[in-house]
Amino acid sequence: MFDISLDRLVPEYIKKFEPYIPSKPDQELMKLYGCHHLYRLNNNENPLGPPLAAQEILSRFKPPKAAIYPSGDSYYLRQKLAAKHGLDPDQLLVGNGANEVITFVIKAFCQEGDNIITADKTFAVYEWVAEFSGFEARLVPLKNFCFDDQGMLDRIDERTKLVFICNPNNPTGTYWNEATLRRFLNTVAGRQIVVVDEAYFEFVEKEDYPDGIKLLREYPNLVVFRTFSKMYGLAGLRVGYLVGSLDVVNMIRRTCIVYSVNTLAQEAAVVALDDDDHLQRTRKLIRSEKASLKQQFDQLNLETQMAEGCFMMVKLPMSDTLAYRKLMTHGVMVRSMTGFRYPNWIRVSIGTNEAMEAFMTALKKILS
Amino acid sequence: MKDRIAQLSLNTYLDPHFLRLVTSFAEESAKAFGLSTAEALKLTLACEEIFTYLCQAGRTDETITVEAANGGYYAQVKFLFKTHEFNPRAFNLTASVSLEDQVSLEEMGLLIASRSVDRLYITGSPQQGLELVLVKEKSYPEQKDLETPKIKPTKNFSFRIPDPESLKLFVRLVVAHYPAHLYLPSFGFPGKVVDMIACGEYSAMVALGEQGQISGGIVWRWVGNKTVELFGPYVFHQPADSELANGLVDSCLARIAKTEAIGLTSRISTPELPKRYFEQIGSVDFIQPGGTSQPWPVYYRQLYEDPGCQVWAHPDLQGFLRAEYDRLSFAREICLTRHEGERRPPYSVFAAQFDRAHHQITLRAIWDGEDAAANLAQHIKVLRAENLPNIFFEIDLAQAWQANLTQALLENHFHPRLILPYGGQADVVVFQYQGGK
Repeated sequence: MFDISLDRLVPEYIKKFEPYIPSKPDQELMKLYGCHHLYRLNNNENPLGPPLAAQEILSRFKPPKAAIYPSGDSYYLRQKLAAKHGLDPDQLLVGNGANEVITFVIKAFCQEGDNIITADKTFAVYEWVAEFSGFEARLVPLKNFCFDDQGMLDRIDERTKLVFICNPNNPTGTYWNEATLRRFLNTVAGRQIVVVDEAYFEFVEKEDYPDGIKLLREYPNLVVFRTFSKMYGLAGLRVGYLVGSLDVVNMIRRTCIVYSVNTLAQEAAVVALDDDDHLQRTRKLIRSEKASLKQQFDQLNLETQMAEGCFMMVKLPMSDTLAYRKLMTHGVMVRSMTGFRYPNWIRVSIGTNEAMEAFMTALKKILS
Repeated sequence: MKDRIAQLSLNTYLDPHFLRLVTSFAEESAKAFGLSTAEALKLTLACEEIFTYLCQAGRTDETITVEAANGGYYAQVKFLFKTHEFNPRAFNLTASVSLEDQVSLEEMGLLIASRSVDRLYITGSPQQGLELVLVKEKSYPEQKDLETPKIKPTKNFSFRIPDPESLKLFVRLVVAHYPAHLYLPSFGFPGKVVDMIACGEYSAMVALGEQGQISGGIVWRWVGNKTVELFGPYVFHQPADSELANGLVDSCLARIAKTEAIGLTSRISTPELPKRYFEQIGSVDFIQPGGTSQPWPVYYRQLYEDPGCQVWAHPDLQGFLRAEYDRLSFAREICLTRHEGERRPPYSVFAAQFDRAHHQITLRAIWDGEDAAANLAQHIKVLRAENLPNIFFEIDLAQAWQANLTQALLENHFHPRLILPYGGQADVVVFQYQGGK
């Protein structure tokens, strides 16, 4: 047998990169932690599941169709999204979740020596993809839980190709209003591609919250991400997309993996877009459960960070990773925040009333 | 995370004709890496004895790789080889040579080697290849009684990675403000601390007050690939309600939160350690040479959501593990293991790590053997004669053979005291010798 010379074969930036180990499947976790049920409040999934029409698509799927390749570029889904947003379908690229479109963008614009800029406490995938692709990720500290526009502008240099803004930010829920986003884009003035990740767009009801897609005509260097994993409850099918100017998307398309979005995902996403009632019901549930949760945290004198999105953060008088383990023994799974550089904070996804009650009961027990 | 260190490599045959080649390689590398002539010669002597012994045990057409590396404050020589004849018992702290015993005489070289260096490790297996590592540290001048500046309480802090001079000042302040058992013995040698940090083995952050004066600091080091050990936080002349200690722990966590470290342990913690950041995973008895004993808490903080894992356990340890895992809410699948008549190597080897400042020694098994219980008894005898009251033994539950040492430990009056989650490849159980009570 040959020895593999991994030390020579593997680039240094890969050796330094830490692989992300996702949590085990529910059944395995329940066995390990000795619990009989598991409320997943760690991934910001929609507690109501997919819209009814999407559920219909899933239940009616004919197995022989599994032998046929899907549309390689999500043809009908792009048509539908283009019609909804008043765009040319070629301004859209669909990926296997928003994670994949992050990869498309970084591959399209960065080469050796380039850097990207984002925040230190935000969705980690921008940083990860840059680093395991060999590019520097410059992390600008949040200011009052919010992306620091001036801080980010200060870090831009001639090798900066991309700036990633998570709006609203995961995990803090803060957002840039339209004036801030415009000011930022005006200052960048087309020298970099500005990516605005709007994964939680549909949850925000504030009037000054900007719709990135509407700004595309004025800012051709803007790229907007959206996803079907959050509001549309299709996280298990992995569908995300990006929108940009024709010229920019034409470049990104060169790094786009075709056929990566499966047939079921494309069909379910198409019909999900029509279900406004699902959006309203989800918003109502999130609003009410969030308010209730906030009230209960206040009663426990716990510091919270609650803004937009289907989640909120709370600071505990104990290690967040210990709280994670203890909550798991009660069948509740949250996100510990040390990895987000928020030690002793946890992020709780808003779930059904039953799940939130189970969470609060467990939390009170472990704090007592 | 430790950066890559300068490294040289030599491939040769297990043939005594190449002895000069190996010793020259070791000596010249050690000198080039900054060891004094005397230190380099000690390391060279150890290499000579190891190579000579391996030549006797192996065939002249077998190959060996010798690697020399610069660790900043030490030089290291590593032997990588495959042999079925290697008997490492002479590496035990307790090994002695009998002029009556031919086997013992042949192993005298190994004994000399083990005593000529500061650290020695053996890993691997005879079938898949062995790594024998020799480490010789550089000598540094001891800390002089230099005056340290007076520190004023301050409200606002900034946290920085210290430059070498700030680091030396911080170390002097620690020595001036804290008793010796609350800092590393190497703090007595500020230049050594600078080199330990420069080579990436240790890291430090200091807190600067409003006028730029050092108001505190924190030090940490990697223990294996999964654990970081914290020292401090050290806080100089700040009010009781100061947030400085929290800030220092936050600054450390921010540096290690997205690395491969799974856990942060604190075995040498100051009173300022913010307890809510940590969980007390247990305690050991800290026994003074006079015999007085006090509980010594050990703190831990996990850095990732615990995915759970499988551990090996001897049936005699199962009750302790189950109770501790339940108390600490650690998800573990315990697989039982015991010796069932299978053949074991004849001689065990235990590595000894001294900590004179705390009058303690920690033993770890690096080689399993039939004689484990007797070997352990011999170690206890020697260590008690050296007046070391705090004797610990750590086993890694990723290794079934280490879990199977439980019986030998219990027979020798060791009691399990605490679990260090992911302290090795899996959880490490710390046993404490309690036969002296």
